[in-house]
Amino acid sequence: RDTAVALVFYYFAVDCFFAQGLRPGVPAESPAMVFATPTKVVSEAGSTVEYLGTNRVPDLQRLFQTSDGVPIHLKRGVPDKLLYRTTMALTIGGALYCLVALYFAAQPNKK
Amino acid sequence: MAHQAHAYHMVDPSPWPLTGAIAALLMTSGLAVWFHFHSTTLMILGTILLLLTMFQWWRDVVREGTFQGHHTPPVQKGLRYGMILFITSEVFFFLGFFWAFYHSSLAPTPELGGCWPPTGITTLDPFEVPLLNTAVLLASGVTVTWAHHSIMEGERKQAIQSLTLTIALGFYFTFLQAMEYYEAPFTIADGVYGSTFFVATGFHGLHVIIGSMFLAVCLLRQIHFHFTSEHHFGFEAAAWYWHFVDVVWLFLYISIYWWGS
Repeated sequence: RDTAVALVFYYFAVDCFFAQGLRPGVPAESPAMVFATPTKVVSEAGSTVEYLGTNRVPDLQRLFQTSDGVPIHLKRGVPDKLLYRTTMALTIGGALYCLVALYFAAQPNKK
Repeated sequence: MAHQAHAYHMVDPSPWPLTGAIAALLMTSGLAVWFHFHSTTLMILGTILLLLTMFQWWRDVVREGTFQGHHTPPVQKGLRYGMILFITSEVFFFLGFFWAFYHSSLAPTPELGGCWPPTGITTLDPFEVPLLNTAVLLASGVTVTWAHHSIMEGERKQAIQSLTLTIALGFYFTFLQAMEYYEAPFTIADGVYGSTFFVATGFHGLHVIIGSMFLAVCLLRQIHFHFTSEHHFGFEAAAWYWHFVDVVWLFLYISIYWWGS
């Protein structure tokens, strides 16, 4: 009975990774090269022809679902780190600048 | 391999609430410093920090939902409640300005000439540009609904086209309204008429710009395949907000432009 309960929880938890269907731990295959495909008219090709780029979501899902303990706001690596550091520098610098400005603003007006 | 035995979203630690709070501090103190010491540095710094916070926070929400799958049905329900409550708070925000308008216009004081519109005010003809603006926003309501149905039916190209058209109509409204503001025969300083007119329509225009930005982000996400026919709450939230903006305009048009002229 305990095994049955555990199984129910397991399937429920796996269902929780629904989104576009990429499950953790399942390696995704890269798409086959399509350079050899002859040119088609849009009406012949149907819905499979490209319109404004290819779907890179499965690649991004793989990237963001790696179990490396990195928080979401840094998970893309260098660009995230740069933007975070810039933002934090402005936050701390700005807060200090604000306190100084408020200190001077609070001084009585000597006439 | 399961990491959690429930469907709810336990978020990673994030610095954005702190940076957002500091941004609010800098913007408000910056406003005071601008008024008293004529320096805009602090206020501009606060605004930049706010923009950085919004960009990164919402980028993270997209990553958590679309790329990590955290937006399960119960989580999405919470997001829906959240958006509905936010729009409700915005309704109350506008209610205040409509209250101010009706307070002044239903019982015009002797200082105004005892009439509404007040003596000396040349109002805008409601059947010229304001009527066009009404048509533009109503049309954009149709195109955003078309975009929604296209997304639900998996029609990628139509979704992109109708969403682009919606955004274009939003920009057209903003452009027309900006021209009206420039050409208007009265200003915000022209008594209570000017105050109520420009504050109410001004905040509305700001919301049109915000709504257009929200829709533009949805367009980018649609182009990048983020939305599925079953799951596209970001778009639905944008569409709700857009309809809200449209409805506020209809009330503005009927009350201030038409009845108030």
